[in-house]
Amino acid sequence: MYEFNLAGLLPYTGPLPGAVLSTLWLSALAILLSILVGMLGALCRVSASLILRFAGAAYVEVLRNIPLLVVIYLIFFGLAQVGLRVDGFNSALIALTLNAGAYMTEIFRGGLLAIPRGQYEAARSQGMTGLQLYRYVVFPQVFRIIYAPLGNLIIGIVISSSLASVIGVEEVTTWMRRAGDETFRYMEAFFAVGVIYVLLAQAINIGRIVTGNWLLSKAPVGARR
Amino acid sequence: MSTDPAPPVLKIAGLVKRYGPHIVIDGVDLDVVPGQVVVIVGPSGTGKSTLLRCVNGLEDIQGGSILFEEQPVLSRSRTIHAIRRRIGMIFQSFNLYPHLSALENVMLAPVKVLGEPAKEVEERARGLFRKVRLEHRAHAFPSQLSGGEQQRVAIARALAMNPHLLMFDEPTSALDPETVGDVLTVMEDLATEGRTMLVVTHEIGFARHVGHRMIFMDGGKIVEDRPPADMITDPQNARTKQFLGSILQH
Repeated sequence: MYEFNLAGLLPYTGPLPGAVLSTLWLSALAILLSILVGMLGALCRVSASLILRFAGAAYVEVLRNIPLLVVIYLIFFGLAQVGLRVDGFNSALIALTLNAGAYMTEIFRGGLLAIPRGQYEAARSQGMTGLQLYRYVVFPQVFRIIYAPLGNLIIGIVISSSLASVIGVEEVTTWMRRAGDETFRYMEAFFAVGVIYVLLAQAINIGRIVTGNWLLSKAPVGARR
Repeated sequence: MSTDPAPPVLKIAGLVKRYGPHIVIDGVDLDVVPGQVVVIVGPSGTGKSTLLRCVNGLEDIQGGSILFEEQPVLSRSRTIHAIRRRIGMIFQSFNLYPHLSALENVMLAPVKVLGEPAKEVEERARGLFRKVRLEHRAHAFPSQLSGGEQQRVAIARALAMNPHLLMFDEPTSALDPETVGDVLTVMEDLATEGRTMLVVTHEIGFARHVGHRMIFMDGGKIVEDRPPADMITDPQNARTKQFLGSILQH
C-alpha cells in the first residue's frame, strides 16, 4: 500500500534553493519586461497612427492566441534553426515576456482609456512634452488604476514560468520532475512543488502590494488595494 | 487702459478653425496688449473656447495666423512647448492632477518642465496659495477639495509658471453658486495686478468690474468689441442686444 512520505524527498533538497531562486528570477524579469512591453504596446494601441494601432492590435491578437508552450518551442527550437542560439533561460524569458506583454498591453490600454482628456490638455497647456506628460501625469495615474488587475497577471506569470521546465531550465518544476524520477516519490514532489508555487506567488504578490503602497502611498485615486 | 501703446502680446489675424466641413471660427482678428483684460461672451457653440484652445495650440488651425509675443503658434511645431509655458490656461473642469496634492499640482511643471529648483518653487507656490486664499489646503488632494477650491488651485498652478498671458475657459461654469464668488475674487485680484487675461465667461459682473474690453462672439465671428460698460448698457448689434438681454434678465 502506498504511503505518502515527504521525508523521502529530503536527499534531493540540496538543489531546491537554487531552483526557487531561478523561478523567482525568471518571473521577476518577465514581470518587469512585460510591463515595459505592455506600456509600449498600449501606447501603440491608443496611438493616432493607424500603423502603430494595427501593429499593437496584431501583436496582442497573435500572442494571446498561441499557447505559451508553443511560443517557448518556437523561440528555443525555431530560432536555433535559423542559426540564432538562445539558451533555455533566455528563451523562456523571451517567450514569457511576449506572452504576458500581450495581456499587459490590454491592461495598460484599459488604464490609458480611463484617463480623461482634460489631463492631457492640462499637461500640454503647461508646456509638457509627450514624454513628460506620460511620465509625470498619465502613467502614474494609469498604475493606480490597473493595480488590482496587474496582480492577477503577475501571479499568472509566476505560475506560467513552470513551462520553462520543458526546455530544461533549472527551476522549480524541473526539480520536481528530477526528484520524482529519482525517488519515485512523484506525489510528494508534486505536492511539495504545489506548496512552493503558492508561497512564491504570494511572496511576489505581497511584494507588489508593498511596493505599490510605498509608491502610491499618497493620493486617494482609483483602485488602490 | 485699452489704448496702451505697448506692442500686442497676442496678435490673431484672419483665424479660421474647421472641424471637417463645420466652421467653428470664421475669420477672427484680435490683438491683446499687455495688462489688458479681455472678456469674451456669446452663446454656446460660437467658438469662444475653441479660440482660447487655438491660442495655445491645443487645436490646429486651418487659416489665418496667431502670433504670441511675435512667435507664430503652430500646434505641431517644436516651438509650441516654449509658447505654452508662457501661457497659463484655466479650464472649466479644473483638470488638476488627481494623484498629486494641491501643492504638488502647483509645483510639478515649474520643477519638471522649467527645471527650477524645488525649494524656490515651493516658496513661490506657498505664496501663490496665500494669494488664492488656500494656504491651509496646500496638502489636500484634489478629491478632497470643493470645486471652487480646485479652481483656485488650478489658478495657482497656472501662475506658478509666471505666464505672460492667462486664459480662462469658463472658469466658474462648473461651480456651485456659492463658490463662484471666491474664484471671481481671485480673478479680480489678478486683473487689478495688471495681468494680461483672456476670459471666456458668462459672468457679466466680472466683465463690468475689471474688464477692459468685452467681445461678443456669434457664429464663429467677433460681432462686437467695446468697453464692457458701453456694451452692457448700450449693445449695438441686434444679436448682442438679444444675448445680453437674455442673460441679464436672470
